[in-house]
Amino acid sequence: MKLNHLNGGQQLAVKYYTVAIILFVAQIIFGLLSGMQYLVPDLLLGVLDFNVTRTIHINAMIVWMLYGFMGSVYWLLEEESKTEIVGLKLGNIGFWLLTTAVTIVVLVFLLIQSGPGDDFTRWFINEGREYIEAPRWADIGIVICMLIFFYNAAATFMKGTWSGISGVLVLDLVALAGIYIAGMFYTPNISIDQYWWWWVIHLWVEATWEVLVGCLMAWGLMKTLKVDRKIVTTWLYIEVALMFGSGILGLGHHYFWIGTPEYWLTIGGFFSALEPIPLVAMVVHAVYDAGARQMKGNNNPALAWLIAHAFGNFFGAGVWGFMHTLPQINLYTHGTQWSASHGHLAFFGAYATIIIAMIYIAVPYIRGQEGIGSNLPDGGWKWKWSLGLLNLGVVGMTIALLISGYEQSFIERAVGGSTWYGYFAAQIHPWFVQGMEWRMIFGLVTAVGLVLLIWDLLTIGKQKQA
Amino acid sequence: MLEPVELKDFFIVFFSGAMVIMAGALYSLLFAWSKLQSKPWLMVLAYLAYGILFIAVLTLGSAAHLHGYWWWLVIAMLVGYLLAPHGIWKLCVATHLIQKPTQTDDLPHSKKLQSKL
Amino acid sequence: MNNEMPWWASETFWKKTAIWVTAFMFVVLVILTLDTIPQITAGSERVPAYAVINKHIGYEFNDERNMQVPVIGGDAPLFGKKLSEEDAEALVSHGKKITQGRNCMGCHTLLGNGSYFAPDLTKAWLDPGWSSEPEREALMIAFLMNPEENARSFGSGRVMPNLHISEEEAKAVIAFLKWMSSIDTNGFPYNFTVIDKES
Repeated sequence: MKLNHLNGGQQLAVKYYTVAIILFVAQIIFGLLSGMQYLVPDLLLGVLDFNVTRTIHINAMIVWMLYGFMGSVYWLLEEESKTEIVGLKLGNIGFWLLTTAVTIVVLVFLLIQSGPGDDFTRWFINEGREYIEAPRWADIGIVICMLIFFYNAAATFMKGTWSGISGVLVLDLVALAGIYIAGMFYTPNISIDQYWWWWVIHLWVEATWEVLVGCLMAWGLMKTLKVDRKIVTTWLYIEVALMFGSGILGLGHHYFWIGTPEYWLTIGGFFSALEPIPLVAMVVHAVYDAGARQMKGNNNPALAWLIAHAFGNFFGAGVWGFMHTLPQINLYTHGTQWSASHGHLAFFGAYATIIIAMIYIAVPYIRGQEGIGSNLPDGGWKWKWSLGLLNLGVVGMTIALLISGYEQSFIERAVGGSTWYGYFAAQIHPWFVQGMEWRMIFGLVTAVGLVLLIWDLLTIGKQKQA
Repeated sequence: MLEPVELKDFFIVFFSGAMVIMAGALYSLLFAWSKLQSKPWLMVLAYLAYGILFIAVLTLGSAAHLHGYWWWLVIAMLVGYLLAPHGIWKLCVATHLIQKPTQTDDLPHSKKLQSKL
Repeated sequence: MNNEMPWWASETFWKKTAIWVTAFMFVVLVILTLDTIPQITAGSERVPAYAVINKHIGYEFNDERNMQVPVIGGDAPLFGKKLSEEDAEALVSHGKKITQGRNCMGCHTLLGNGSYFAPDLTKAWLDPGWSSEPEREALMIAFLMNPEENARSFGSGRVMPNLHISEEEAKAVIAFLKWMSSIDTNGFPYNFTVIDKES
């Protein structure tokens, strides 16, 4: 594929997007395996145990989303700064460094899997902490790549022009890299371990990632709907104030049961109740914007995925989050399939959707076209069906897991008191098992949707040129 | 002090928790829509949605034992959800004022909106 | 018609607000962290010193706090051997490193965090599944060393894979689990039945 007509940042973006999609495929494959192991417990037992498949499932997700974010930022970098990217070569080195590191980590997870209880294991095989299982050498590599990325963004804006959006973006990248370091140390104390571990997980996912997405949304709205820059920037600031205002101390809802003092129950409860406020702001503002200007998009798939993002974020983060966030009920739902249900919808709704939208914004330019018209020769069935199947699949899995989690909070947590017996009594209950069966079915629907999505990304707009 | 939810109230807590957010969104949606289209009857529906929210919050409050200082959470939700759409709407109108007069001609609602501030 | 933008809707106002709100919330988080860390450092009231593995550990309902809390009892040295605080820390630390190296969190939850494919380990030391207190240590060692043959999956068909844990490693893991069960987790897990306390 010839990319000479793209600017330097965009050429980098295409690379990041490509790896993002490959890792998305890995996420789904290993997700299907993990889901299947619930139904057929001896599947790959001793070969690829659940802890291996599940680790790759969640790590592939985190990393493909990071690739998607980095690609999106590189895509808009030169346009936003009105100058050429400062370190194109460095950006390329960073890309290959990160991709090599990710490949080695995945191979080690697959082939070596675990090690003895010493420092070598943590440095070179597996750190064994959910989401940040990557061994320490890879952590350092990730931070170096994030710094290269940060330098490229900051220096390019410095050379060109700054804007409100780029200011928020660069500060957010500092926080993103800085917070990751909070997870890079060893302590025998599990309470202190998990205290800092949540800084990485929560402050990434519920604070800095959200703001990063806010920046992408702001830029996307200017691009697709020609919204005035000053308005978009003001609203980005409003969203930052609301998100960080509620999200930073919202961290408290992870400090209910890990040994931390009782006042976290109150802080976590109150700030969790505030977390839906940015979502309410988005609803009101979206209606205002829809009325105040004509919706004239030249990229229907991107627009559709942006709408999916709005709904997914609202239901996944808002509704599914608030249902079990108060400590009075979280006592029973913490660490059950409730978390899995919430996680599936929230990660997909808040992040996967917007990255797919950003990729669709890029696709026509990669082919040297202006946009994606509504008069596609095949009627655009591929993007419509992939949109439908991916959303149906994830929503289906979410509801299936919700039913399993609901049963689990009853039988295991409330009645069984979380003993091993209580745990397994819940796992063999028909509600639970059927929930897992339906999750598997909708997982396959998601996989079909992903295949269609890739087919569409590779072919959309091609027929016109022929 | 924490008083955990009783087993029989699980469903009530999950359902009313979901309804708080859903009704909150419906209220803000109808509120904004009514303002935008200048349709007062939609505002009636908006406050009906808020009524559902009100009931949902109180139900959640009693099922999740939000007594003592937790009662402030109930008050905060009731007042916060009531006022948030008002405030955000005012912000929407005010932030869009910067558009140049030439631009407002092709934006059907902005004149109406400006006159309403 | 009023075309003047009010101050509270201007870009600069919200820029400053965003910065101040973020900075303020972060400072509050730092202050809370400074207050919390000493309270969860090993040797505090909520998170006991590692030498607690020399003691009997229970988990009983406390009326005043309206939740179950860990109760540290009399001497009950793990594997019959009383350890100094340093030796206890070394043993617990080795145990935790093993749980990380074998990626236990890939199936289990610890303090409720991790994966949901296998039981929560927060109070695994106190689980009634270990028959009785006198038999517990031997059963746990046997299970960890050969989980497939000592499976306790209660009809689910789910088996813990053999992670090639040696006897010495198993003892370290058990020390870590025993220490973890002494952490005050604000009543999580709820309604837990402690070993030898079944009615």
